[in-house]
Amino acid sequence: MRPWGKSAVIGPLLVIGCWLLASVLAQPAPNTPPPDFSPRVFEIARELRCPVCQGESAAESNAGIAVEMRRIIAEQLAQGKSEAEIRAFFIERYGDWILYEPPARGLTLWVWLSPLLGLGLLGFGLWRYLVRVGAQAKASVTDVSDEEIARLEAELQPPERQP
Amino acid sequence: MQRPNPNELKSVLKGKPAPTFSLPLLEPYRAQYGAEMGIKQGLNKPVFLNIWASWCVPCRTEAPLLERYHQRYKDQVLFLGVNVQDKESEALKFIQQYGLSFPSVYDERGRIGIEYGYYGVPETFIIDRNGIVLDRHTGELGEAQLQDYLRKVLP
Repeated sequence: MRPWGKSAVIGPLLVIGCWLLASVLAQPAPNTPPPDFSPRVFEIARELRCPVCQGESAAESNAGIAVEMRRIIAEQLAQGKSEAEIRAFFIERYGDWILYEPPARGLTLWVWLSPLLGLGLLGFGLWRYLVRVGAQAKASVTDVSDEEIARLEAELQPPERQP
Repeated sequence: MQRPNPNELKSVLKGKPAPTFSLPLLEPYRAQYGAEMGIKQGLNKPVFLNIWASWCVPCRTEAPLLERYHQRYKDQVLFLGVNVQDKESEALKFIQQYGLSFPSVYDERGRIGIEYGYYGVPETFIIDRNGIVLDRHTGELGEAQLQDYLRKVLP
């Protein structure tokens, strides 16, 4: 029996690798409904909340209301209405609540900012510490009394010879 | 980090005139009410506008209650159903199943629902005799609440 050649191992690996890559590429992006309208419609819908699901934007959801909202957006765009006018149409019916906000707000904002705050505090503390140590080092150089200096200089004098 | 509770979301329509519309009636009601029905000026009657769908479970528990009150108050109050996001055949089956005699219009895509700013089904808008929205009830309507709303709209 012939021992396995390199190609016998690499071949299947290559096939498996290609298949994995293809399957990854073939995955549709999650949470995206079939693009039933132009990208412009989805851009506007992304800024509006889905009334039923509430955790999703009207662009991501496939709930009936969200689908209908996209249809309304498409219609109003076709009528030549501006983005602001379309948003106003929904605010008029649902209030400001219909505006979909990114999650970094209010309490959530603190969750986002706390690591930065922590790092900032750490940096500040370190800086203060270094300043203090530096000051102490300097102080120990300059705070030598005259008496001490006189004593040191006396000690540095060559000793007088004993007769 | 709580989700807003739709029951705490006040309808922006509260205290404002109810949006007018006219939609085709479901077939069983055409003989009595004509081809279309809706909210219009000069109805001169309070309206319970009930948005429903055959696939919604609370709508099923609500239907007999609405029918009972329609039978009792039909001279003073208009009970009007708006069937949304539904197949017409399913809606007709539902009506037959519960023997609903109050009229329902058909709004396949739920456009009128959006006009009224709805979040889902069932939802009931209580409109006074002047066409002003007094209140919006999200979810299933209970008998006690229904009586409460009735007291508000009846003279």
